[in-house]
Amino acid sequence: MTLKIFLFELKYRFKRPATWAYFGVLFLFGFFTAVYGSTPASEKVLVNSPASIAQMLIIISIFGMLLSSAVLGMPVYRDIEHNTAQYMYSYPINEKQYLLGRYLGSLVVLLLISLGMQLGLMLGFTLGPVFGQEEPERFGAFHLWHYIQPTLLFSWPNFIFAGTIFFALVALTRKVVATYTGSIVLFIGYLVALTFVADMENRDTVSLFDPFALQTFSTETQYWTPVEQNTQLFPLSGTVLANRLIYLGLALALFLFTLFKFRFTDVLGTGKSKKKKQGIESEESKPVSVTIPRVSPSFSFSTHLTQLWRMARIEFTNIIKDPYFIAMLVGGVAFLFLDAWFTTTGSSRPAQPTTYLMLEVKDWDYGIFVFIILIFYTGEAVHRDKTLKFANISDALPIPNWLSYGSKFLALSMIAFVLASTVIISGVLNQILAGFTDFKFGMYFKDVYLLEFPEYVQLVILAFFVHILVNNKFMGHVATIGIWIVLFGIREFAEYDFNMFFYSYRPSYILSDMNGFGHFWTAQNWFNTYWLALGVILLILGNFFWNRSSESSIRSRYKLAAQRIKALPVVGIVLAFVAFVVSGYVIYDNTAVKNRYETRDEGFDRQAEYERKYRKFINMATPKIAAVETWVDVFPEERRAEAKGEFLIFNNTDKPIDSLMLTMGTQISELKKITVSGVEPEKLSYDEDYFIYFFRLQDPLMPGDTVTSSMEVSVGFKGFPNSGTQREVVYNGTFFNASVFPEFGYSSNGEISSDQERKKRDLPERDYTLPEQTDEKGRSTFLFTDDGYYADFKGTVSTTEDQIAIMPGYLQEEWVENGRRYFRYEMNAPIQVFFNVVSAEYEVARDTYTGPDGRTINLEIYHYPSHTYNIDRFMKSIKHSITYFTENYGPYQYDQMRILEFPRYAGFAQSFPNTVPYSESFGWTANYTDPDKFDRAFWVTSHEVAHQWWGHQIAPSATRGSNQISESMAEYSALMVARDYYGEDAMQKFLKEELDQYLRSRANESKFEKTLLDNDTQSYVWYQKGGLVLYALADYITDDSLNVGFSNMVKEFGMKSKPPYATSLDWYGYIKSVTPDSMQYYLEDSFENIVLYENKTDNAIVRGSEGNYEVELTIDSKKIYYDGLGKILKEGDEANLLEIGIFGDDVTNDMGMTVKNPLLLKKIWIEPGVQTLTFKVDEKPVKAGIDPYNKMIDRIPDDNVKNVEEE
Amino acid sequence: MNLIIEDLNKTYSNGVQALKNVSLTIPQGMFGLLGPNGAGKSTLMRTIATLQEADSGSVTMDGIDVLRQKEEMRTVLGYLPQEFGVYPKVSAETMLDHIASLKGINNKGERQEVVSALLQKVNLHGVRKKNLGTYSGGMKQRFGIAQALIGSPKIIIVDEPTAGLDPTERNRFHNLLSEIGENTIVILSTHIVEDVTHLCSDMAIICQGEVISSGHPAELVAELDGKIWTRTIEKNELPEYQAQYKVINTQLKSGKTQIHVLSEFEPDPSFERAESDLEDVYFARIAERMEVVPE
Repeated sequence: MTLKIFLFELKYRFKRPATWAYFGVLFLFGFFTAVYGSTPASEKVLVNSPASIAQMLIIISIFGMLLSSAVLGMPVYRDIEHNTAQYMYSYPINEKQYLLGRYLGSLVVLLLISLGMQLGLMLGFTLGPVFGQEEPERFGAFHLWHYIQPTLLFSWPNFIFAGTIFFALVALTRKVVATYTGSIVLFIGYLVALTFVADMENRDTVSLFDPFALQTFSTETQYWTPVEQNTQLFPLSGTVLANRLIYLGLALALFLFTLFKFRFTDVLGTGKSKKKKQGIESEESKPVSVTIPRVSPSFSFSTHLTQLWRMARIEFTNIIKDPYFIAMLVGGVAFLFLDAWFTTTGSSRPAQPTTYLMLEVKDWDYGIFVFIILIFYTGEAVHRDKTLKFANISDALPIPNWLSYGSKFLALSMIAFVLASTVIISGVLNQILAGFTDFKFGMYFKDVYLLEFPEYVQLVILAFFVHILVNNKFMGHVATIGIWIVLFGIREFAEYDFNMFFYSYRPSYILSDMNGFGHFWTAQNWFNTYWLALGVILLILGNFFWNRSSESSIRSRYKLAAQRIKALPVVGIVLAFVAFVVSGYVIYDNTAVKNRYETRDEGFDRQAEYERKYRKFINMATPKIAAVETWVDVFPEERRAEAKGEFLIFNNTDKPIDSLMLTMGTQISELKKITVSGVEPEKLSYDEDYFIYFFRLQDPLMPGDTVTSSMEVSVGFKGFPNSGTQREVVYNGTFFNASVFPEFGYSSNGEISSDQERKKRDLPERDYTLPEQTDEKGRSTFLFTDDGYYADFKGTVSTTEDQIAIMPGYLQEEWVENGRRYFRYEMNAPIQVFFNVVSAEYEVARDTYTGPDGRTINLEIYHYPSHTYNIDRFMKSIKHSITYFTENYGPYQYDQMRILEFPRYAGFAQSFPNTVPYSESFGWTANYTDPDKFDRAFWVTSHEVAHQWWGHQIAPSATRGSNQISESMAEYSALMVARDYYGEDAMQKFLKEELDQYLRSRANESKFEKTLLDNDTQSYVWYQKGGLVLYALADYITDDSLNVGFSNMVKEFGMKSKPPYATSLDWYGYIKSVTPDSMQYYLEDSFENIVLYENKTDNAIVRGSEGNYEVELTIDSKKIYYDGLGKILKEGDEANLLEIGIFGDDVTNDMGMTVKNPLLLKKIWIEPGVQTLTFKVDEKPVKAGIDPYNKMIDRIPDDNVKNVEEE
Repeated sequence: MNLIIEDLNKTYSNGVQALKNVSLTIPQGMFGLLGPNGAGKSTLMRTIATLQEADSGSVTMDGIDVLRQKEEMRTVLGYLPQEFGVYPKVSAETMLDHIASLKGINNKGERQEVVSALLQKVNLHGVRKKNLGTYSGGMKQRFGIAQALIGSPKIIIVDEPTAGLDPTERNRFHNLLSEIGENTIVILSTHIVEDVTHLCSDMAIICQGEVISSGHPAELVAELDGKIWTRTIEKNELPEYQAQYKVINTQLKSGKTQIHVLSEFEPDPSFERAESDLEDVYFARIAERMEVVPE
């Protein structure tokens, strides 16, 4: 019997179009993903590498939760809904046979449907090279097992687990809504679980208990190099098998429970409502003789308005009383709230729940719920009266068409309004619960009601229109979602994203406390007008086709529509069309005419063209700048600035310079005037595609000559772009740098770096962008400013009266003239020609620092008035940093240090001479009340202060590897300051985070990993690897010894105007000079090679008693040499100096931080391989292991330490 | 005030011609529209009720061009469709109140009076607060009747109204209709001859989209006076009789089959003359068009 039910289920399902639709969607998704190579793989990883196939299958199986609920939630419910249960259950079958058959049948169907993805991928990868959307060499050979293994290990168990839950829920509750709620609960549970991963210590636990094994997968594979990703299948570790057994076991247990609990009678027991009905019937009484009063109906317009409101209200009630709606809303709100909550408190970057953050989370998970709710209930509302057959009554009622139509639309708009308002409620609630009181209600209302709500309405309008035209609920949903998939697909796959061609799309915008909606407001409003105008047209057209009758043939619907065309709607359409065309014109003019729109490919093409056309000028002789005086007038309210510079330029080459090539560094500035020695040079050409000028000098600049050149530029924007922030000059928070002035000569920054994109455009692969360390020209050029030299700097800047404008240097004078505020700055020491202009309404926190040498340095922090949360942390960090750097590297070259907040349109901090612009997005509103959270404000500040030495005192040359002198040194310096401040036992967290970042980035390398000596582009090498390697070196040989080398370097290269400038080899030389012979192997490993350890503790056993414990450690040490792609070259066979640590329970230091409590910590020479070592400690050990602080670069940092077990 | 239907034609997109040159004049009072399933009754009703388009022809009432001035027509219309649904989570009272307001009854007091009176008329007053979703089929039908009567319509169209009503309710409904029918046009479509016999002053029979007969019921019956003959036969003899005579109706009576035959003269002595009634008219007219008796 079970078999028959099973087969029936299969047959039934195979006949259902839904089954094929699900399969088809998966298949197409897989196919397009494969053809476009949009798999989660970096450039050097095959798009069909086993790792990316497995990852995609896992992710699809998580989204497959929806599929599981649709497929496995249905079989029992179908019998309930169609009332087939009434006779189905009277057949001679028992519950268990019935349930088992239905379950197995549906499950098999579900698993088969899920294979659509795999088949799509297989076909796509096979045809991928033919379609040519991705380079053919990125498609590897086909291996069936690469699909089967992850299917069996991940995909199917996930589907079985989720499917069984939904099946059980419906069978036991008899309500299909249970599957919706179930999937939401599961989703939320999953979200919560994922946030624990942020806390890295829990990774193993998460790996074991992640029901979909996504974390299990990524924890294992996150550090895999391209070579490993291309060749390795997921290893069958105990963790993953245990994980899979746990969840398959749970699924089985749940199914068995259902099997024994399920009773037909429960399902049939609609008893409750039956009784009610009988109750009603018995209440009947004899009819009374009444006359129906005559009434006088009114059909005036005001009546219609009342009717519109009443109808909308009843439709609104219909929707909000729907249990699915409630379930979806509750789910969405839960996400909205939790997303905000975890972002501000749960993540590794805790923050104040600022209003802009509360508003931003609405676009995360909540956006998906809003989309689904609006689309789904638009369909419901449009078809409700027809579905319920109430239309048979209501269509004949004396109300005009627009009324019944309009009421549905109004009701949906009300729903949209509720959904939008929820964002405010959730945000404010979050803020209240966090005790945060800086509510920005203006920002809430503007964002939610003026920007978000119209978008929701636009979503409704499109769905509404499509449903009316299609006139079938199911097909309407298919068509609506289909339209969105197409729009999304074109943007994602074809990488064409010109917003005005994509319904309801618009440029993205960033909210900021400093600058509010800023300049984004204009573009948003134009786009809103544009789409709403189109919406009005769709609405009126929809009204013509609104199906108010039992007619459904296209012919008669056209006939009806023709009848409805009257003057008023036509006028409406014409007006809306005018608004649409006008706003469309404005948008087009702004985004495509005044600003350049290009797709990613077009951008690359232009870069390629630039290289072809101008690279030949790379060795053209250019002058250098010896002194700068600049005058800048900022007009923040007009978002423009006028800048003039007087440059002392001289020829330090041995050839005469008779012409100048000038490249405008940014598209936002325009060259107004240039003079050399007071004469305007002759303009030979201007290339408006690349903003490149050629001028002929009247008198050639002979070698050694020095002349004055003055340049005037206008900085500003031409309208709004299709995307991008245009952040440089804004109403409040202007920040731009010297690149508004033209640069001399060719800049290789404009070239394509991706080898794949280069090859597509027949450009040679380029391994390095900078020349070798020995290159003459490179050695005589600064890395940060080609044109630079150590130059004297003076600047005058003006702005509006309410703002403060800042440039490097010390304020000499401040005055107000013609309603504008002027500031004159002058620098006492020469700087590289690398300066910035900042202007905003600031509050200033001031402090002074007096060094051990009695020197006083003024500290100033310019900040947005309410962002006072961490000012003291910035101050403390500056002081600690200057102390350490002065003692170890040499004196600070300036008398002042300033930090300036700028809007969060960009997320970085950048060190200029005595001036550090620092983004609003980190530090300022961070919340470090938990002492265990990583104090990024302290850390980043220290890093930027270090750049005053490493970057500004020592200017690296433009050769490969030299940026390590700036960035690795700043990172090392910040680590040292942190170690001094927090203590060594608190450092593991910092080191682990650096290591983690290095390992992850290296796994996603798209070229090849470079060594510390050669790296010229890879930030994870110059920050994380550099920082770690130097930290460990300081730990080996003491920082005092190491810093002797660094201070020698500062002595030789500090403020050195004459070439040659510092290279990585110079730097390496100083390091080598202070490193004893025994540790030279470490320098070779770390600087000249790519070396990763695999240190691991297998076992830790303790014997003995109080005062005399013996710990026996079984450790395994390996040191592996890799090439840049991640291929193993060899294993080290010599002993390495490594640290062994034995620990008691963690303790809290005087800052409230949890830190390690070492009972023993010492470095010993350890041979490669497995070995057992014995140590003695006094106190009872808890944990022990090798390299416990993660000082070494270790491929698997988590297995270094083990809990100590008693024998 | 008459409803005048002229040359109404309608062909569905699947090729079925639902209305063929239908012309009828419907005066005030009860008008019965009789016809078998699929005859085009509902199409005609829906067309008059502005819910369907005609290919050609016209419908006018009191100066209203029904096919074009739909909104005007709807202001005077009460319509009970053959099949309809309701919002399940709304009470009868609220729903009627809602419909009343959509029928233009602005005044709240007036609306309450009408709703309350109608609820009593259709005997739902006791359960007016219950959600419509909990109503039985009969109760829902009565709700449908109540909503059709809201707003003092000048024309009431009721499509198969008594389906699903028990005999008592059916009676009450008939009474209600005839009460209203005094100064209103009431079009009642049905395939139950009895309904028309009891209620209607005028009627039409429609079959395969055509009006095949119309007039006063009594006059139509009179036309058949003396032409209806009956006798009892064995079931297996039926084909023989069908071949020989115009059998318009058969009925089972205590295991035997009683047949009605239409004939100007006595078919043979075994037949008795039968009193003609509306049912005979109906079957006789239908039989001209289609097979009415199963073979």
